[in-house]
Amino acid sequence: MSSSTGSSSKGFTGPVVIGLEIHVQLDTKTKLFCGCTTKGKEPNTATCPTCLGHPGSKPVLNAKALEFAAMLALALNCTINKDMRFSRKTYFYPDMGKNYQITQYESPLGENGVLELDDRTSVRIKRVHVEEDPAALVRPTEASANYVMVDYNRSGIPLVEIVTEPDMTGAEQAREFIKKLIHVLKYLKVFDENEGIIKADANVSIKETGYTRVEIKNITGAKEIERALVYEIGRQHDAHKRKETIVQETRGWDADVGVTREQRRKETEDDYGHITDPDLPGICFSDERLEELAAQVPELGQQKQQRFVKEYGIDPVDAATMAKEQELGDLFERVAQSVDPILAARWLRRELRRVLTASGKKVADVEETHVLELLQLLEKKTITDRIGQRLIERLVQEGISPAKVVKDEGLAQVTDEAAVRDVVKKIIEANPDVVKQVKAGEEKAFNFLIGQAMRQLKGRAPPALINKTLKEALEVR
Amino acid sequence: MSVTNSVGDYVAQVRKGGVDILEDCRHALESARRINTRHHFLNTIADERFIAEARSVSDAAKKGRTGRLAGVALSVKDCLCVKDVETTAGSAILRGYHPLFDATAVERAVKEGAMVIGKTAQDEFGFGGFSVNVGKGFERPTNPIDASRSCGGSSGGAAGLTRAATFPHLAIAESTGGSIVCPAAFCGVVGICPTYGRVSRYGLIDYANSLDKIGTMATTVQDAALLLEVISGHDKNDSTSSPRTMEPLDAAASIEGLRVGIIKEAFGQGVDAAVAHAVKEGASQLEASGATLTNVSLPNVAKYGVACYYIIAMCEASTNLAKYCGMRYGAHGALGPQFNDYFSQVRTQHFGDEAKRRLMLGTFARMAGWREAYYVRALKVRAALIEEYQRAFKNVDVLLSPTMPMVAPTFDEIAKLSPLQNYMADILTVGPNLAGLPHASVPVGNVKNLPVGLQLIANHFDEKTLIRAAGGLQ
Amino acid sequence: MTVDEALIDAVAANARITLTEKERIKFLQDFKDILDAFSTIADAPAAENPAIHPEPVRDVVRQDTPTPCLSQDDALRNTQHKKGGYFKGPKVAR
Repeated sequence: MSSSTGSSSKGFTGPVVIGLEIHVQLDTKTKLFCGCTTKGKEPNTATCPTCLGHPGSKPVLNAKALEFAAMLALALNCTINKDMRFSRKTYFYPDMGKNYQITQYESPLGENGVLELDDRTSVRIKRVHVEEDPAALVRPTEASANYVMVDYNRSGIPLVEIVTEPDMTGAEQAREFIKKLIHVLKYLKVFDENEGIIKADANVSIKETGYTRVEIKNITGAKEIERALVYEIGRQHDAHKRKETIVQETRGWDADVGVTREQRRKETEDDYGHITDPDLPGICFSDERLEELAAQVPELGQQKQQRFVKEYGIDPVDAATMAKEQELGDLFERVAQSVDPILAARWLRRELRRVLTASGKKVADVEETHVLELLQLLEKKTITDRIGQRLIERLVQEGISPAKVVKDEGLAQVTDEAAVRDVVKKIIEANPDVVKQVKAGEEKAFNFLIGQAMRQLKGRAPPALINKTLKEALEVR
Repeated sequence: MSVTNSVGDYVAQVRKGGVDILEDCRHALESARRINTRHHFLNTIADERFIAEARSVSDAAKKGRTGRLAGVALSVKDCLCVKDVETTAGSAILRGYHPLFDATAVERAVKEGAMVIGKTAQDEFGFGGFSVNVGKGFERPTNPIDASRSCGGSSGGAAGLTRAATFPHLAIAESTGGSIVCPAAFCGVVGICPTYGRVSRYGLIDYANSLDKIGTMATTVQDAALLLEVISGHDKNDSTSSPRTMEPLDAAASIEGLRVGIIKEAFGQGVDAAVAHAVKEGASQLEASGATLTNVSLPNVAKYGVACYYIIAMCEASTNLAKYCGMRYGAHGALGPQFNDYFSQVRTQHFGDEAKRRLMLGTFARMAGWREAYYVRALKVRAALIEEYQRAFKNVDVLLSPTMPMVAPTFDEIAKLSPLQNYMADILTVGPNLAGLPHASVPVGNVKNLPVGLQLIANHFDEKTLIRAAGGLQ
Repeated sequence: MTVDEALIDAVAANARITLTEKERIKFLQDFKDILDAFSTIADAPAAENPAIHPEPVRDVVRQDTPTPCLSQDDALRNTQHKKGGYFKGPKVAR
């Protein structure tokens, strides 16, 4: 049933349409509705009557989880719902503590946002909401086992769910979206990249089928999401080429084999029968509270880059790198108060960063006052760039104070023309054959003399001055 | 009335010294066992815990430390968690469930020296007004005055034991649609149901979370009020628990100038004439003591209260009951079937008929396609009905009506009722329960030796006025 | 809205209840009577906003501070279906 209708009725035009529903575990100390630790190790050692769904237990909302989710929603440019509620989504599964999940149906935390990607395309965010994680199912080792094993350490961990509009046009863009989202999550410090889990459900459709939607459920990890999308798009294209029918269905991602599989169709599709959870309060975000939260959302990379360029007039490439790397960007902003920003940006982004990477160190390992000293010396032209490069290495590796070293080791720039003329004169006298070649027009010979002079001057004279002096000396001769 | 001394008097004696608490408790236990053989008010008698608690209360008393409930036997409706004591909410599906914690209300009472004697019988999960819908394999409680009759429900066992106990005793009970005042009326005792949120629901096995309220029963208003004072108050473990402190309750306070609103619709056809008469006499008694009576009309509560209540209650209940599936606690099945089959097997086998009926009605009323017309609509109607009460309270301090349209029916009469007729019997109590208003039932005479209850309803958080008014009837 | 056997079956399945034939017939009649009576709600006065609670409950939260958890034994105490520290539950694959 490859349909030729459909595309106009759904409003899609591109070859591939992808929408994502992403679940992210929030990095709080305790669970969403009880005070159990989120870091339980041995099975069923981080539980209590609430996350075990014991009759008589009651949920109490974790303020931190709410705050983290609200910051994320703001960072995704969502409108925050001023009267936020929780709801019960009732369905039966062995990983459920109560056979209903506390989530947000009618009044989610945030709606109608957008995330701009690095390539300037954007993906609209339909909604952002908070819900609890179910328990972890473990399959027993015996293949013939007629039961599953359940660990409730995971039951109740706070999740934030991000639902996009079907705006993504391919696996690459989806990958960029996830990358950007993770960047935001890390920036906000609401997600532990090492321990926290990201899962996604994806809706994938292609033009050839009239955008018949296939849902792929439960893909774990950013890398797998891209893999699954690439596979599924390929599968749909292949099936279409073979004139097979693509049906609207739900498939599962098998990460081991690398394929999506038809999921056994349920006998009855559960009607979740949403009700507002009467055990929990409504949450009202006042304007003041929203302002407080917005202030806590550190500026996101792209906006920061634009601001760097606008405010400091620096090179966009330098700006981009420093916006992405928070510590570097912060350092830049501090030193840019005292030295020329363009110079600072160039030296931090190109030189400091290079040396840090090479020596395996971080911005935090470097003494900020030393960096400032170096930049000031450069700005005042007290030292040459060459000396600057040597000093920055020693600054990182040995922690030297550039100002002190310049003083002690006499590395100050030689600007005294007489001194330079003196050295040049000696070089000329010592290399008569080379001089002849220079006069004959050989550039290589000239550069040789420059090199000699620079060595003699130990890099303390600006190359331009050496160049000029040598030229003058040769003409005089 | 069987108990000559009030509980308050007994505690005063304990505090003075010279009461052998342990001995009294042994007698109480014997008494309770005897009574239970006849009437089955208790699903579980917690002998070990009772005697152990009696010992510690006794030791503390000897050292001069006595709480406000020192030496009092406390029965707890079976839907409240009592640590290490089988807690079933009257359902076979929770057989074997031994909670790991005490409900907050129980904890607070025990802290003041009360001792848990047992778990009282009830309709399964609170689903009923006659305590006949007991779970599979459970025995129903019988009326202490006439064993062929119902105790009322769903806190039937609590009311029956309160009436029949020959030892100092207080009952913690629970109401969702009238389950405290109804059995109190049928058994001729005092039942107080406070404002929603007044007593923490932590440890209460849910029927309907926006309607469930824990309350008290005793033979006098002051005794019931005493227990209510002890168990009330904010609890951080219950998000719906009110932060408001309750004013001290004084059943002896003067009712001079108390404005009483007689609910017109509560005395029409459908209410037994003799019951109406006894309640009107009670109203006159209040008037004679200085209260003023006016007529109040609550037409929407009368017309739509039952439907509104049941839709909300069943929707919430159907989600609360989803957790009972043979995992983690309670009745189990043999593992082997695929999960949906396993769950269905356990639930089908262990839920009673009324539980199944409400489960299904509640599931239906929130399904896509019907949700707007039933569930969402009922919540909006609820708001309108609360407004109707608020308008009435502009002119009166308390509202007055019979608690139930009849005296305690026989089990044979009940068996003839359709489910809908069962629901309609709640017509006088659903209103205050839906609105979360504090209400009480006080005995006001008999009809052919069967007790009649008079219901008083006060405004939100005005238990003080409620108790004052109720005290005026004693 | 048709209250028929198909509806009863759908609802029972959703609620994970298996009905006997007798029960199916009985519940169908009960449903009809009760829903008929309850549908008066359509005529009732209704406020604009639903009353989730009798009085609004707002903004109740707790701090992100860990509280003691149950021991593994206590967590598993109320069930017989357990093994090696895990709960056992019914299988998910056919």
